[in-house]
Amino acid sequence: MSVRHRKTATLTLVAILLLSVILGCAKQDNTPASSSTDGAANEKTITLSWPRDIGTMNPHVYNPSQLFAQSMIYEPLVSYKQGGKLEPALAESWTISKDGKTYTFKLRKGVKFSDGTPFNAAIVKKNFDAVMKNEKTHSWLGVVGVLDKTEAVDDSTFRMTLKEPYYPVLQDLSVVRPFRFLGEAGFPDDGDTSKGIKKPVGTGPWMLDEYKQDEYATFKRNPNYWGTAPKIDKIIVKTIPDGETRVMAFEKGDLDLIYGEGVISLDAFKQLRDTNNYVTKLSEPVGTRSLLLNSSNPKLADLRVRLALQHGFNKQAMVEGVTSGLEEKADTVLSKNYPYTNVDLQPVDYDVEKSKALLDEAGWKLPAGGTVREKDGQQLDFELIFDKTDPIQKAMAETIQAEWGELGVKVNLTGLELTVQIKRLRSNQFDLYFWYNYGAPYDPHSFINVIAKKSFGISEVLSALPMKKDLDQQVHEALSSTDETKRQELYASILKTLQEQSAIVPISYIKKTAVYQKKITNFVFPANRDENPFEGIEIGK
Amino acid sequence: MISYIGKRMVAVIPIVLFATLVTFALIHISPVDPAEAYLTAAHIYPTPEILEQKRHEFGLDQPLLTQYIQTLQRISRLDFGISYLTNKPVWDEVKVRLPATVELALSSMLLSIVVSIPLGVLAAIRKNGWIDMLSRGLSYFGASIPQFWLGYLLIFFFSVKLDWLPVEGRGTWQHLVLPTLTLSLVLIALYTRLLRSSVLEQLQETYVQYARTRGIRERVIMLKHVLKIAIAPLITGMGMNLGKLLTGTIIVEQVFSWPGFGRYFVEAIFNRDIPVIQCYVFLAACLFIVCNLLVDLVHLYMDPRISSKGRTEQ
Repeated sequence: MSVRHRKTATLTLVAILLLSVILGCAKQDNTPASSSTDGAANEKTITLSWPRDIGTMNPHVYNPSQLFAQSMIYEPLVSYKQGGKLEPALAESWTISKDGKTYTFKLRKGVKFSDGTPFNAAIVKKNFDAVMKNEKTHSWLGVVGVLDKTEAVDDSTFRMTLKEPYYPVLQDLSVVRPFRFLGEAGFPDDGDTSKGIKKPVGTGPWMLDEYKQDEYATFKRNPNYWGTAPKIDKIIVKTIPDGETRVMAFEKGDLDLIYGEGVISLDAFKQLRDTNNYVTKLSEPVGTRSLLLNSSNPKLADLRVRLALQHGFNKQAMVEGVTSGLEEKADTVLSKNYPYTNVDLQPVDYDVEKSKALLDEAGWKLPAGGTVREKDGQQLDFELIFDKTDPIQKAMAETIQAEWGELGVKVNLTGLELTVQIKRLRSNQFDLYFWYNYGAPYDPHSFINVIAKKSFGISEVLSALPMKKDLDQQVHEALSSTDETKRQELYASILKTLQEQSAIVPISYIKKTAVYQKKITNFVFPANRDENPFEGIEIGK
Repeated sequence: MISYIGKRMVAVIPIVLFATLVTFALIHISPVDPAEAYLTAAHIYPTPEILEQKRHEFGLDQPLLTQYIQTLQRISRLDFGISYLTNKPVWDEVKVRLPATVELALSSMLLSIVVSIPLGVLAAIRKNGWIDMLSRGLSYFGASIPQFWLGYLLIFFFSVKLDWLPVEGRGTWQHLVLPTLTLSLVLIALYTRLLRSSVLEQLQETYVQYARTRGIRERVIMLKHVLKIAIAPLITGMGMNLGKLLTGTIIVEQVFSWPGFGRYFVEAIFNRDIPVIQCYVFLAACLFIVCNLLVDLVHLYMDPRISSKGRTEQ
């Protein structure tokens, strides 16, 4: 080796060593003040990530605020618990008038906002007024459409009067937005929260501590919280948009918890589960993935064809294959963990022979040497539209296409931009469509509402059902009924009809996933799909 | 020279106008109705009345020409409208995020220049030697590996396995290392090979032979003569590869949770936040135009023989 070469090699080696030392010794300042850096060594902190920035934390608006974070700061009058049980939250009790039109809430005494100001009927009314000022924005929520007036009767009594009876008022009040309560200090001068708030002041167990847009948010305990204080001192939420990066941050130990729907890929979840180094959990069903068979299409107006299609694909194999068993095969349109849905219904099982027989019976015959069934010179073909950015929908669409192809049913696949897809649903321009219900606490009442109410697209899907008028009537009765037994009967009847008519074909139950480090204990999925999972969460010794 | 620069500046105007036209056309060729996209983002059910009202509010019921003129007036004031998602002015949102992206782009540019110039020159001087082999290997690797995957690999080794650097985020210089490496590797790959072939070409020139016969030292020939000329294609390459840098920042910001404009743009796409998408497209187009102009001006500075016709006088 020449002298010059030796020099170069030595210099390179020194540079590499120097760089290694610098990188190795560099104190990693992970931006939010974590327990290890703020001096409070015994402070209990949980760090998780979220795909998006938590947003403006305005309780009365939607995007870009994130539901789970809003639910940490703001509370409802009524809480939705496991199995649809409604429990007192900021209201300690309530009475409903005989005609189902007047709801009187007794507010919990001694509740304070995080800034120490009192929670009372006046501030409840002020929040309701702010929400109802933008009624159109919230028209998707049933109670908004029927709310006539609100009054602060006295300091701890709040009354709502409806235009007509509507039983799911309490469920609607338990949702994360818009009916949660902002403290006086958060209101803008003109009281119109839709334009923005001054600061996030709530009554919830947590308050926003530090926030850096697009990077992180930290929450600390609300010292004025009326309920059981959290066992954790601080929650750090890092904004990590990429699923794979999230997994690596978790494996490195930067994150204690990965939680949510679709926040990591199914493969990553399985890989983390198989290491046995972490705890992995799947929630109860939070929603159903269904396939709509649009009966407005004359070919699908025939019940025999709809039944044949449901009998004609192997749900179990598809759900196992596409979702790696992280979703569960669905036999009924709604899972049985909602109120009124624990009804005994007959599943439509996988049965190819039965499927072929039904198609034959309906007059759709395979021509000699042909692969697609025909009737009166028409082919039995359908278009299945799906969200082209959703890998699960795409894989399921391809599976269905292959399986129904075997039966002699031709399926043309069209991947669409989500907005266009929704537009086609609402304008009833489709044959087959992947659809999801809303989950708790919105269902089952929101589900039956869209069955009857036009312009959402679901009512039109059922338009050729011979009993559609009766179905609509039953929905209306169920929503306005004040008799619990009658309501249960009506729900049973509605769900039975839908099951028999096979226009909404249940495919699988979607679940939330959670992966966390073993030091975390007492992790429980919230009953309300949109709530945060920190109630009772603890860090083991 | 002054008149040439003036002419080039004037020539930019129609190109910028064309960029605004493309940006404007985006709305009208997209299958997504802006009014509907707004309502979806705001979580408002799009009844025909509200749709009508929003379309009127956005001026979508005006004739196309009127809409275009209004768009031009707004853009000239740096008013890109209100984000559908946050209800805040887009420009304010962009301003907050631009520094992070500029920081990432500049550090990547810098690293790629610092690495590729010596590497390219050495690869040419020691043709077929080990440095040349190394640079060739690096170039193949850098040019062919998908950026997002390279990002994951770097995180896996340097953060998860070795625990030297943070996985994601921004704040300290350590946070900048991996995103910069990811973004600059493809540029290093390009520039190194470009410079190598350019230097090799110059080394064949007669002026180099002449300088050698005059007994001028090799190092002086290289630095004072060869490199000065050989660097020109590299400067052109930098201007031409700006697109790689731009798309690169989008991917890298997403992978490393870097809070910049690229990530904001990705989120805007997912949420169909049309004003933000328009703003990004327009700014990207302007950046291309400005960079091309700068490249030409640098060439002019380096080679004064370039005439107003934009070619070397014979």
